[in-house]
Amino acid sequence: MNGSLGEGATPTAMGPTDTRVWDPLLRISHWSFALLIPLMWWTAENSKWAWHKRIGLVLLGVLVFRLLWGFLGPETARFSSFVKGPSEVIAYLRGKSAPASEIGHSPIGGWSTAVLIGAMLAQVSMGVFAGDPFDGMTGPLNPLVGVLTADTITELHETFFWVIAGLIGLHLSAIIFYAVRGNDLVSPMVSGDRPPIEGVTGIGPMPWGRALLAIGLAAGFALWVANGAPPLT
Amino acid sequence: MLRTLSTRFLIAAALAGVLAACSGEGGADTASDAAAPSAEVAAVLKAREDNFEGIGDAFKAMRGELEKDTPDFALIAAKASDINTRAGKIEGHFPAGTSVDDGYKTEALPSIWQKPDAFKAAAQKLVDESGKLVTVAGEGDKAATGAQAMAMGGACKGCHDQFRLDDKK
Repeated sequence: MNGSLGEGATPTAMGPTDTRVWDPLLRISHWSFALLIPLMWWTAENSKWAWHKRIGLVLLGVLVFRLLWGFLGPETARFSSFVKGPSEVIAYLRGKSAPASEIGHSPIGGWSTAVLIGAMLAQVSMGVFAGDPFDGMTGPLNPLVGVLTADTITELHETFFWVIAGLIGLHLSAIIFYAVRGNDLVSPMVSGDRPPIEGVTGIGPMPWGRALLAIGLAAGFALWVANGAPPLT
Repeated sequence: MLRTLSTRFLIAAALAGVLAACSGEGGADTASDAAAPSAEVAAVLKAREDNFEGIGDAFKAMRGELEKDTPDFALIAAKASDINTRAGKIEGHFPAGTSVDDGYKTEALPSIWQKPDAFKAAAQKLVDESGKLVTVAGEGDKAATGAQAMAMGGACKGCHDQFRLDDKK
């Protein structure tokens, strides 16, 4: 895995050992958002409701995984490592940064991540209740709420897409902003590695046991919701 | 070097994606190749969609009312009456050449014109059931009103099953 993108380049230019900053499951989750959200938009615009529902449930599973991974994953995946207090965010915005903490999300990027995950979770949570059984497709938990509540949720779900779109716009702008200033954020999110920094070891080996636990719980939750959240006893 | 290139490629791809998304939005329906309707057809499509939307909203309001312990039967009767009026307009909202197969963004299946008698009967069923609901709701019995509302919902569904594009696929 190490330096998979850089293998064709001369090792001396790249440095012999890049630093691992993002684990494979974090990257797969991230890129699946980049794939699934446009698909969710397209299926909604073109009334492919069965696909909208299926893909939405997959997205729910990935989001729940990412939430669990924020507690069970390697250092850079953990909310405790990247959700910072206001003083650190302000210090970062003023241009100060501690070199030792230079892998993982920046203090502002951490909040961006938390807000993006939160907004996506809010959107799929609304989606599972949305729709009207007498007029097309319904989310799997639609029968659990009243018809007028479902109607309000459906309208909010439609409008909230623009909040998601705005956040994605902000996210892409930030990536371009950093790229222009010579800080490539995209390649590490693809390969998992970045050029080495003096004194920084990167994340440790992949905790596969905890990974299986998080995947199993997330998939189980998504399937449970897909089946209308039946009683578990 | 490779890193920079891959990054540039990904950013370009992301931007292209965003732009494609925007143009898809503006073009309304480039994805499904729908023809841009003439002003006349557009007016037909809008009038019938608004009419069905009105029926859907009235039915929704009524079901919301029926979820309450003490429903407002006058409101249910008024909504049923609204549906009854709108149901009477359905037949006139489908001039020839306005089906989905004519290339418009509509859910009106060609079977409407292939089986005009069955379509007329299906629309008439909604007129009858909604008319019955006005009477039943006026009597103020929740169970009977609920049952008649569902019978009316069956008229909606019966027609949709035969004549409306199934977008649940």
